Amino acid sequence: MAKKLSTEMVDLLGNYGHIGFTFVAAIFIGLGGGIYLDEHFFDGSTSPWFTFIGLAFGIGAGFKSLFDILRTPAAKTKDKDSEG
Amino acid sequence: MEHPILFISIILEKLGLPIPHGPIGNTFLEKLCEPYMTYTWFVMIFLVVVGKLTLSNIEMIPGKGQNFWELLIGGMYDFFNDNMGSELTEKLFPMISTFALYIAVGNLIGLIPGFMSPTSSINTTLALTIIVWVTHHLIGFRAHGVGYIKHFLGPIPVLIPLMLPIELISNVARLLSLSIRLFGNIMAKETLLGILFMLAGAYFAPLPIMLLGVLVSLVQAMVFVLLTVVYFGQSNEHAH
Repeated sequence: MAKKLSTEMVDLLGNYGHIGFTFVAAIFIGLGGGIYLDEHFFDGSTSPWFTFIGLAFGIGAGFKSLFDILRTPAAKTKDKDSEG
Repeated sequence: MEHPILFISIILEKLGLPIPHGPIGNTFLEKLCEPYMTYTWFVMIFLVVVGKLTLSNIEMIPGKGQNFWELLIGGMYDFFNDNMGSELTEKLFPMISTFALYIAVGNLIGLIPGFMSPTSSINTTLALTIIVWVTHHLIGFRAHGVGYIKHFLGPIPVLIPLMLPIELISNVARLLSLSIRLFGNIMAKETLLGILFMLAGAYFAPLPIMLLGVLVSLVQAMVFVLLTVVYFGQSNEHAH
């Protein structure tokens, strides 16, 4: 019982413990990439556009990682249930 | 803030080696003598010596030391086997278990006065993370060849221009989140302990935080290893 509980705890921590950080990191990477394209690649001539596009992609990537986290462990537990 | 007393730095300074006074040294020798470098070597020596002492004569009926290692290594081996499959485990078990032991010992060592966690420096955690990140792409290319790109193209061909940047960004986000989470947790623990010790060390104020520190250290080492295993398993699987 205790062993089952501890493995469940590790699973939960590993799968859900990094949600917040991954979400934020994705948004910042998207935003940073957009700003870099605007300021250094096109020398500011396209100024706000790539920043906003990068931000949108970053937010999309954040939500995509959320969906990934949601999907994989759920599928795993379903398999285990059908076996046992 | 009071400078923390790090005994390896003091010993090295007595030996006449240059100890950097900021977080980053200027010359190559100063860079080698930074606290996180010296404590990394300390953890390495500790692991090697303890392993040598406890495992020097392996017996059929294990003693105390051998029992501990058999339990630990066996548990990790089973866990990797469940999550990555036996083929990857055979290849990568030495690497991941070394990371696990190094991170766990490196985190816990910071709780002893006079020591510092090497993982409370972003350099150490970023180095570990880059190794993991590059390896999981290598595993992917090795398993699928050029078809590994399909992992980044999403399910429908029409959506490729939309999905490619999103997948790439969320992949690079792994690099950032894995390194900064470990670094942030351990650095916060060290800083909080230092401040509490300075403010109310005589009244045992850091004790509860030290208790939490043990928990955080073990959990962060476990999470790092678990995520490493999950990433390796994912890049080895077929694209969805």
